[in-house]
Amino acid sequence: MDFFEAEHRAKRRTDWLAVLFALAVSGTVLAVYAAVRVGCQAVLKRPFDALPAEFWNFELFWRVAATTLAVILIGSLYKTWTLRASASSIAVGLGGRLVDSNTRDPHERRLLNVVEEMAIASGTPVPAVHVLPGEAGINAFAMGLRPSDSGIAVTDGCLKLLTRDELQGVVAHEFSHLLNGDSRLNMRLMALVHGILVIGLIGSTILRSIGGSRDSGTRRKVSLSGISAVLFVGASLYIIGSVGVFFARLIKAAVSRQRELLADASGVQFTRNPEGLAGALKKIGGLDQGSKLVAPRAEEASHFFFAEGIGRWTQLMSTHPPLLERIRELDPQFRGELPPVGMEPVAVEQKLPYAAMAPAGAARAIPARPREVLASIGKLDDQHIAYAQSLLARLPQRVREAVREPWVARALVLALLLDRRSETRALQLKAVLSLGDAQLADQVARAAAILDTCPLETRLPILDLSLPALRRLSPAQSQGLRAAVDALARADSRLSLFEYTLECVLRRHLGVQFGTAPRAASSADVSFDRALSLVLSMLVHSGATDAGSAARAFSAACVTLSTSRPRPRLLPRQECSLGGLEVAVSRLAATAPRLRGEILAACVAAVASDGKVTIAEGELLRAVSESLGCPMPPLLPGQQLAANEDSASAA
Amino acid sequence: MIGGIVLAAAVLVILFAVAAYNRLVDLRNRYKNAFSQIDVQLKRRYDLIPNLVETAKGYLKHERQTLEAVIQARNQASSAAQRAAAKPGDPAAMRDLVGAETVLGGALGRMFALAEAYPDLKSNTTMNQLSEELTSTENKVAFARQAYNDAVTTYNTGRESFPASLIAGWGSFIEARLWEIERAVEREPVKVSFA
Repeated sequence: MDFFEAEHRAKRRTDWLAVLFALAVSGTVLAVYAAVRVGCQAVLKRPFDALPAEFWNFELFWRVAATTLAVILIGSLYKTWTLRASASSIAVGLGGRLVDSNTRDPHERRLLNVVEEMAIASGTPVPAVHVLPGEAGINAFAMGLRPSDSGIAVTDGCLKLLTRDELQGVVAHEFSHLLNGDSRLNMRLMALVHGILVIGLIGSTILRSIGGSRDSGTRRKVSLSGISAVLFVGASLYIIGSVGVFFARLIKAAVSRQRELLADASGVQFTRNPEGLAGALKKIGGLDQGSKLVAPRAEEASHFFFAEGIGRWTQLMSTHPPLLERIRELDPQFRGELPPVGMEPVAVEQKLPYAAMAPAGAARAIPARPREVLASIGKLDDQHIAYAQSLLARLPQRVREAVREPWVARALVLALLLDRRSETRALQLKAVLSLGDAQLADQVARAAAILDTCPLETRLPILDLSLPALRRLSPAQSQGLRAAVDALARADSRLSLFEYTLECVLRRHLGVQFGTAPRAASSADVSFDRALSLVLSMLVHSGATDAGSAARAFSAACVTLSTSRPRPRLLPRQECSLGGLEVAVSRLAATAPRLRGEILAACVAAVASDGKVTIAEGELLRAVSESLGCPMPPLLPGQQLAANEDSASAA
Repeated sequence: MIGGIVLAAAVLVILFAVAAYNRLVDLRNRYKNAFSQIDVQLKRRYDLIPNLVETAKGYLKHERQTLEAVIQARNQASSAAQRAAAKPGDPAAMRDLVGAETVLGGALGRMFALAEAYPDLKSNTTMNQLSEELTSTENKVAFARQAYNDAVTTYNTGRESFPASLIAGWGSFIEARLWEIERAVEREPVKVSFA
């Protein structure tokens, strides 16, 4: 099952849920109507035996239905608003603290390393990492409603009591939540549950107000039947709300448990190491605190956790499958014994695993066959992680330190844009200087000196690694960065492919404060066929050296497309411009998940038809997949890197 | 009917209040995070200074007073920073920190001015490395301070602007203090040049 299939199924499952919820909501509406109808009958003192015949009073029904639906809708909207808080607010609300990217604490360092490896391996930017220092239990959660705002938080127990492998298992599980978009699904479910909850709240308010008016002696003469009717409606609303919430919670908990099992499975797939994740779960079982949290607001975020964060009175309501069942799923040999776990922190392994494992410079080859690449989108396996580890090991220590500090990371990202030719580079540095920040220009020149020692294929990983530091820029600083990026990119009066990709990545992951894309033309103006032709042609031209190989690569791409649509045509090189690409890609991004999967498969086929991936192809592919909204694992390793960099450039 | 309108209006007001409250919490977190960013760099700087003084001691034998002043100023700034980190944005703590930092900057400046007269010290590699790192840390502090001030300004504007200002009272949203540098001279990071 590939990423798009999973996205498609998740969508279908959500549709199915929507049906279940619609049933729950209509049931609620009918029940409320019945309660109100019976109440009216009592107030009007009509005989009840006439009720079955006169039950339907359509005017009353529409009023009741509209009011009930409005209440549920407002309740849901309210919850959505309160849940829209940023990832870091949720972590901070639970007593969390952002792990500084420069941290010297060995446990925190290890956690950041594990997260960075996972991010590089999955082709996603590094999320913000928080620690919940007051929590001794082992737990973790991931949050990500927007690509520019995703985060992972772990408890102190998780940070200190797990070995590296176990920690990696937990982080992989959380990454799977991020890649599957589970936070968003969870948020929708919680909002709906809350909408139904409001009905019960109104009922209990009615009951309480009647109780209150009875206590105060100033009660007006109201007929006894009037009071009992209101009492009846209030009690019914309370019961209807409670029953509705009960069922809605059951549905939500069932979905949540399923997503957890899926995340466990993908976590194992990412690391190819079921013992790691199973070990972490066993430690939860053996620890006195288990996975419990002490923060008072834990209930609000319970559905985001790695393991059950709060106590439940019934299994049916829990958001996570039973611990033993999860362990058994990962470890068939498991007999149910959970050795007790002490509170002393584990020693951090001094020797990094990849330093021993990966011989310098020789990354393990990852096949560049389209079908396999497509299957790897949105998930990863041990090969990608091994590749990410060896890539990180090959980065000079100075670069690894530089990406963690906003001030230096900014210069480093700008230095990525510098041309390798010295005269162009001088022009570009002059452009930075003209922005009026002499220190920045100096810093960029220094960063460039370090970068020149790094191989070209590390440019995108360095960019990904810098994102957490860059997210900490203030809006004003972010706009300064945008201006400098523009100045550098335009200095040589042509926009190169890498410059375009870098802008795409920054725009998507730094959010609105970095600025939106300049809209040259609306994406609606271009037809789907034309857009697809343009994207594929650009990919083909960026890798091909002559017309023959371009045509071969293009037909290889067309083979993967389903035949029901008109075939795209290979556009000549002159017609391919990055400005046109921008429009074309945003047109393609507006299509259904499965079609996007097909498009990306064609793109991969176009790139991989000759069995090797050039740097230009790899970067353009990243820009396309970035704009299509799917995380793309690095495609460069092990493939011969041809150095026809920037061959697809536009005037 | 009128009841319905009143109810709808009440619900809308509550929705707005929640949104405004959330926004304030978010802005407050943001400036606190920005302060922790400064804090990390300040700590690194306070770690560097004793090493620097230790290295300089061997050469500046007759300038003990100056060196001691640096160490003393460093200790004071360090404890002021600890207090400020406990309550980022707190006006009193921030004023103390800014004051202590100004004193430390002055003391360091005097030490480097003295060092100009000692060519041996100027060519010492350890000294050069340390002062290079100090300069770079100063720059990072300046940059982080800029981010902090931006975040504080957004937060302060947010808590004073109309609908949110009603809520700011009961959520302990006190006004945060900027890290302002009064005199133009101090805007420049300490110049350390031995080249």
